[in-house]
Amino acid sequence: MSLHTLSMHDITSRFQKGEVSATEIVKHTFARIEKFEPSLDAFLSLCKERALEKAEKLDLKKKQNQPLGRLAAVPIAIKDNINVEGEITTCGSKFLTNFRAPFNATVIDLLEKEDAIIIGKTNCDEFAMGSSTENSAFKKTKNPWKLSCAPGGSSGGSAAAVAARIVPLALGSDTGGSIRQPGSLCGIIGFKPTYGWVSRYGLVAFGSSLDQIGPLTRSVADAALAMEVMGKHDKLDSTSIPKERPPLLSEMKKPVAGMTIGVPWQFLEDLEPEYKKSFEESIKVCKSLGMKVVDVDLSILKYSVAIYYIVATAEASTNLARFDGVRYGVRSKVAKTLDEVYDLSRQDGFGPEVKRRIILGTFVLSSGYQDAYYRKAQKVRSLVIKKYKEAFEKCDLIATPTSPFSAFELGSIKDPLQMYLADIYTIGADLAGLPAMSLPSGFTQDGRPIGLQLTGPQLGEPTVFQGAAAFEDATQFYKKIPELFV
Amino acid sequence: MPQITKETVGYIAKLARIACSEEQKEKILHDMKEILSYIELLNEVDTEGVEPCNIVLDCLTQTPLADDVCGPCMPKETFLKLAPDQIAGMVRVPEVLKQG
Repeated sequence: MSLHTLSMHDITSRFQKGEVSATEIVKHTFARIEKFEPSLDAFLSLCKERALEKAEKLDLKKKQNQPLGRLAAVPIAIKDNINVEGEITTCGSKFLTNFRAPFNATVIDLLEKEDAIIIGKTNCDEFAMGSSTENSAFKKTKNPWKLSCAPGGSSGGSAAAVAARIVPLALGSDTGGSIRQPGSLCGIIGFKPTYGWVSRYGLVAFGSSLDQIGPLTRSVADAALAMEVMGKHDKLDSTSIPKERPPLLSEMKKPVAGMTIGVPWQFLEDLEPEYKKSFEESIKVCKSLGMKVVDVDLSILKYSVAIYYIVATAEASTNLARFDGVRYGVRSKVAKTLDEVYDLSRQDGFGPEVKRRIILGTFVLSSGYQDAYYRKAQKVRSLVIKKYKEAFEKCDLIATPTSPFSAFELGSIKDPLQMYLADIYTIGADLAGLPAMSLPSGFTQDGRPIGLQLTGPQLGEPTVFQGAAAFEDATQFYKKIPELFV
Repeated sequence: MPQITKETVGYIAKLARIACSEEQKEKILHDMKEILSYIELLNEVDTEGVEPCNIVLDCLTQTPLADDVCGPCMPKETFLKLAPDQIAGMVRVPEVLKQG
């Protein structure tokens, strides 16, 4: 079996047995990047020096029989809105073209402590705002299954790098579906943890009551391993859950017979026939595994996109106020006064979608409109949380499609509102702080991947992984590799 | 739905500190109208007596406070390396108060 198709566990195990060196793994990874990057455009920067140095250190550690981390020699990629000390963090924005991160995000410390090797930073929609990665100021990432299609977004570079078998693990961030939707469109696993499960310290903030960092991988077990490493309380993030996290790799092996799956059929009425059929097939698989399927009422989720575009833009408008051209980032060259430094740097530095969202967010928070928009949205959000709680009284997990459609052609969705509606099935979990996973559940007739989403109650990570592992084992879709990247 | 005009967009853009050309304002106005009209959907929902969501996590209903002690902070040199312009160990910006 080639190195690039190995699971994270197998890479570490081979390295520990001395069958392959860390340096060989890193060189193999960069050789694949050199070969495929021109057609894929998944990376914004590569961390060659850092990766080779780390590999040499690991090879030495191995030679000296020193203890090795749980992710020893696993090459990983990081979404470019997560800080890696000494490397550029652009967030896909012209504003941060030259921003060299002065510190590590907590997740980076945790992954490097377990001896993972950071290979590069991946492309994303500017400040994670988008569902196709086309809002990046730098390049358009392609979907490994069909290069004329978008990989989804905003963590599109991470999803493409994993699906193209360049790295077995890439980090993404999810505010409205930005890990799960590209995971679905690229035929891989995308997991958004319970709000507060993974530290957000060092993730460039977008919507602080929604943002979570999570893994994109090729198998449920790889995602569980990454989550065990990253799920730790962090005092640098005041919303980090101050509790021990349960193990996931052992929990996910528990039998699923008797587990109850809730399906919000009413909410899924508008699903197109091909996707509906595929979803029904997935539900049959759940039943064949001995799971019970019940109907749950989540019709409130038809308001989720509307709530999201008030709450997320309001939070974005305040979070992005820090980009003022004074302390870091790119300052307008023609600004002559301090006011112009602010106004012109932001005009030059931000792309159209970011400006649209900042202005919308400023509007819904402005005097005279705050009650009608922001407070109203937060009230409906309370109802969403309540409805999910009621649903989880009847079931262990909720199943829906991840996305209303599979990978779409680059440039085909021009209307911002149409693009926002791509997240109709994923936003609910962000609004209610729930753990949710997208996993491969089939293909369209022309071979584009389809994803199933399993959502659990808050802190229900073990149940989500348990259900997902059983579904994966029964279907084996994860074994299929996009032809161009075998 | 409130009447949004190009002037409203101009005013909001000013609050958001983003300079906009007339053409950009027109485009934003068009998109905003479409998005706000979609958001009207929320008016269908009866929220009488419902509290706005202030807390997402059941297990974390209070923000923990950090201990009030000094800790290490970023070295000045590291910070200054990121600044677009600097003078004598400080970040430089155009003059704020007019002389005289």
